[in-house]
Amino acid sequence: MGQDLLPPLLSAPGVETWAFYILTTLSICLAIAVLADRVVIRSGFILIGVFGTISGIFLLLSAQFLALAQIMIYAVGITLMVVIALMLTNPRLEREQAVVYYDENLPPLAKIFASCKRNLSLWVSVLSFVTLYSALIGENHWPLSDQPVSPDAVKVLGEALVTNYSIPFEFSSVLLLAALMGAVMLAKGESKNRDDDNVAIVDEAKKQENNLALQR
Amino acid sequence: MQNVVTVKEPQSSVNLALVYALVAAAVVGSYTGQLSTAAGIESIVTNHYDFWACLGLALAGWIFRSVGGHKGVIVTMTVLASFIILTLSQPMLLRYLTFAALLFSMGLYGMVQSRNAVRVLLSIELMLNAVNINLIAFSRYVDPVALKGQLFVIFVLTVAAAEAAVGLAVVLAIYRSRQTVDMDKFTLLKW
Repeated sequence: MGQDLLPPLLSAPGVETWAFYILTTLSICLAIAVLADRVVIRSGFILIGVFGTISGIFLLLSAQFLALAQIMIYAVGITLMVVIALMLTNPRLEREQAVVYYDENLPPLAKIFASCKRNLSLWVSVLSFVTLYSALIGENHWPLSDQPVSPDAVKVLGEALVTNYSIPFEFSSVLLLAALMGAVMLAKGESKNRDDDNVAIVDEAKKQENNLALQR
Repeated sequence: MQNVVTVKEPQSSVNLALVYALVAAAVVGSYTGQLSTAAGIESIVTNHYDFWACLGLALAGWIFRSVGGHKGVIVTMTVLASFIILTLSQPMLLRYLTFAALLFSMGLYGMVQSRNAVRVLLSIELMLNAVNINLIAFSRYVDPVALKGQLFVIFVLTVAAAEAAVGLAVVLAIYRSRQTVDMDKFTLLKW
């Protein structure tokens, strides 16, 4: 059974730590590449790698079902949709323009201030990370449990979905339906009017051509 | 046009990047070496030297950048070394939570900073994934029998799929009317 292979492997000493650091190193490098790459479609494809490593982390946390669901929904579905949207909005797949800064001639102190102002969102995100991290290490009363994850996790999840959590489950299906209908409506939008206009313009042009031909 | 000075990467950028990678590896190595002694762990955990080590790394990276190192290498090495320093002495749950916090703040940065609307959506997906890692880590270490965290992850996956579909449709609609996906040019709500 493939399911029973994972827990004894993870319980070996040091395996989880090494696998964690390898996966997180890969994932952080790929996430930085997603944010920094000037070719947007390439960063969309690198995002598949980020989702793949994150599904590896889900496997480390012995959530096998969710690891495969992650690959199915994120790495295939959402990334595919993003790439299609990129091809529709940026047909020639151009690189993003590099931003040119005009603060070369400023005095040094003003240059530092200008760079601080420009990178305000960097400071905000670093500050948010520091806040989150200090909140995490300040809390030392996590109610940790020593039990291993139940081997029939999928059964537990399925039972909970149709008994205790059946109403949120139904609502999420309604939400998905509404969102998909809304997406189709938004993406289709006003194309009908434009088609009518085009038909009218083409008819006009044909009429003018006929008139010219008649005049000759 | 003569005032515009284009920034060129200097010739020695590769060597400087290598030097910076060595510096970062040395900092991490000395930190882990300190960890092996029993008194080292106590002093680091109680005195929070890890924050100062990360700050020093960022400062060194800034200096190397202004001298002319490669930006991507320096940013990646700084983030990685800071992450390893901050998590190495923590229990397993806190490592996962710190990783999720790091991914979340990276997604936050990308969401605010990006100029392409599609990249903003990519960053939002990163943030949602960080939340998923949090939930699954808690369900693994706090609640491994009832697995409520994994249930919530299923709902988050559903909402993320809906959000991606609607967001991309909105981007397409805006592109149709504006012929651009540049965030700086969406001034529909400005008055």
